[in-house]
Amino acid sequence: MPPKHVIRKDEWERRLHDVQITKNELNRLIMDYLVIEGYKSAAEEFSQEANLTPPVDFESIESRMDIREALQRGDVEEAITRVNDLNPEILDTNPALYFHLQQQKLIEYIRQGRIAEAIQFAQDELAPRGEENPEFLTELERTMALLAFESSPSAPPAILELLSPAQRMKTAGEVNAAILESLSQGKEVKLVGLLKLLSWGETLLEEKAEFPKLMVRDGTLVDRGGS
Amino acid sequence: MSPPTDSDDDSNASPPREPPPVSPVLLPPVHVLRLPTRWSDQVKHSSLSVTADGRDLSYNGSACTGERDAAAARTSHPIPPACGIYYYEIEILSKGQKGHISVGLFAGRDVKLNRLPGCEMNSWGYHSDSGCSFAAEKNGTPYGPTYVGDIIGCGIDFTSHKAFFTKNGTLLGNAFEGIGKDIELYPSVGLQHNGELIRVNFGHEPFKFDIDYHVQQQRNSTWRKILSTPLDVTLLLDGPQKHNNEDRDDSKGKHTPQSSISEAQTRSMMNKLVLSYLIHHGYAKTAQALQRQEMLLKMKLPQPSKPVTKSGDQDMDMDANGSTEETSLSTAIERRTRIVNAVVAGDIDLAISETEKYHPIVFETEAGLMLFKLRCRKFVELVLEASELKKRLRTSQSKPSVDDDVMEMSMDVDDDITIARHSDNAMGTNGFVSSTTYSTWPEKGKESATTLVEQALSRAIAYGQVLANDYKADTRSEVRQLFKRTFAIVAWDDPREAGGLVAEVVSLEARINLANELNQTILRSQGHPTRPALETLCRHTATCVTQLGLLGVGAAAFADMSRELFSET
Repeated sequence: MPPKHVIRKDEWERRLHDVQITKNELNRLIMDYLVIEGYKSAAEEFSQEANLTPPVDFESIESRMDIREALQRGDVEEAITRVNDLNPEILDTNPALYFHLQQQKLIEYIRQGRIAEAIQFAQDELAPRGEENPEFLTELERTMALLAFESSPSAPPAILELLSPAQRMKTAGEVNAAILESLSQGKEVKLVGLLKLLSWGETLLEEKAEFPKLMVRDGTLVDRGGS
Repeated sequence: MSPPTDSDDDSNASPPREPPPVSPVLLPPVHVLRLPTRWSDQVKHSSLSVTADGRDLSYNGSACTGERDAAAARTSHPIPPACGIYYYEIEILSKGQKGHISVGLFAGRDVKLNRLPGCEMNSWGYHSDSGCSFAAEKNGTPYGPTYVGDIIGCGIDFTSHKAFFTKNGTLLGNAFEGIGKDIELYPSVGLQHNGELIRVNFGHEPFKFDIDYHVQQQRNSTWRKILSTPLDVTLLLDGPQKHNNEDRDDSKGKHTPQSSISEAQTRSMMNKLVLSYLIHHGYAKTAQALQRQEMLLKMKLPQPSKPVTKSGDQDMDMDANGSTEETSLSTAIERRTRIVNAVVAGDIDLAISETEKYHPIVFETEAGLMLFKLRCRKFVELVLEASELKKRLRTSQSKPSVDDDVMEMSMDVDDDITIARHSDNAMGTNGFVSSTTYSTWPEKGKESATTLVEQALSRAIAYGQVLANDYKADTRSEVRQLFKRTFAIVAWDDPREAGGLVAEVVSLEARINLANELNQTILRSQGHPTRPALETLCRHTATCVTQLGLLGVGAAAFADMSRELFSET
């Protein structure tokens, strides 16, 4: 292994300063975030304040957000209806997405303690699909385990996780991405791409060099080496 | 550094036109990206001769005696791994007696030159007579077709460290793996018989093979790989707490398996980045709308049945403080934006009085340097006003038409300058004396006009004198110099027409820079960083990727931030 290259903080700051980035580019990154994450009114304000042409019409943001909100409050049926209103092909061409929505519906039944309905629903809708696909089967098993533990805190975290808001957000995110894709828009928030590029770049560079790390929250640089 | 046998000077002796880079390249430093452009005059077998342009290589000696003897050459410069994928082609112009040729790569400076590439240590080659690939071995591996009068391409992919060949533009697949990791690679070729002649294309002309498409594929797959990496939880942590905060370590173990960040945490982090960016640049309405919507979203969510991680809780607390925080935040932004825009518009008095009122600390730091700078600019504005009046007076005497260079200047404001530009009316009038106001003089006659000019000038001088008096005790060289430079502009009839420093001092750009500086000073006084965290994030990430390229990580060439994140489409 060759010795690690050491880059001091002042040198690093100088390089940071030399990077060519325009305010307009950053503004577009912001707009992308607001649109894809569905902040409709913020996106509208921003197109005014920053004098940017929005990449989409704002109404499409609204309907996406209605669907997301329905999922986040646990109303899966409403979400499915709205997705089909928007474009029936989205669910038809995406069996995994449809399965995850049905799984979410099952989770909501269990959350509400409607056990008989949950079992009936699982038998009618989910079990036949589980036979087709091993991934579906695993997910079905995991979800049914919720019944066994009756949501007791001693249940394994991997199973309790299904009842967390994060699970709803996950399903909502999947639906959101599918809708964006059907509108042939970028589905991944560019800011996420940036954070991943940062993760990837810092990890690789750590093997070869010592350099200041970034505290993403406040944008400060820290010399982790200590010197 | 260079041993005497390899001076590397041969390329300087007759520099060929630098061919375009083989693959798109985003790293600026030239020395790292010096690409092979010609066969070396020095490092070649004595039976080979190279043409002056360094591209043609011919064998003209006695035929090699042994079956395994050959004559090889390599380029004068190695391939920079930072290019991601390197590719070159050779064309066999004459097969001579037999046409036994090997195309490939040499690693390191000192590969023996009396064997075909692939038959020696640290060399790899694709042989024409057998179609076999040789990786530093006596017996090759069946690889592709034999070749005679064809165009053979050789590529090395530094993201995967694999080498491939093409024949007449058709990809033959990977031939070698694990090469070029910690050692320099040179394109190389070996000939064996009299009359053999090849010409190389290091990007001098279009390639037979569609290398751009190939590069595009590689680029996409690198980016997909980057996007599939989970975000590491350390991104969320603050430096010192990373190691000694037990609570955090505990919660990490429990709730975030594999220490990757949950979607909710990512969201909250991104929201913060976006919000602080909006606040920094004074996009007050957007910031408000974002906060309101985020809060609505949280209210609609059922409260989580169990606490999420600690950092998640903190976020909730912050946002739950409700609307008082929101309004105070938005007024803070509005105030600061008003001040900054006042400077941009040339209304220095307003900027000074508002700053004094709402951000008094700004004028206290550095012994009032900011206030001094603003007052200097005020002086500049007064002088400009006077000189503008004088100019109008003169124009109205000669020709009555409206000269609109002032308006043109206001159009020059660059959007990239870090100043919120949403008060269009302020930018429109621009603080410079509006061209229409004084473009035609009232019929009253020019005496009163002349008086106006004189009054304006004496107002400026008087202001300058007060300024001189107020700061006469301040011996800081920065203050002295700025004052001298500022006051000197009265010596010019029209300082804006003057060149060099004078024009710079009075320029609109200087005003915008001042506004920017004031913005940052106010932000700093409020404990905000002077650059939005999001911008630092971009700069830091770009620097990491560039540095990876500099250190020879080929994949960095395909982690193209500006293409993936900032392209218009």
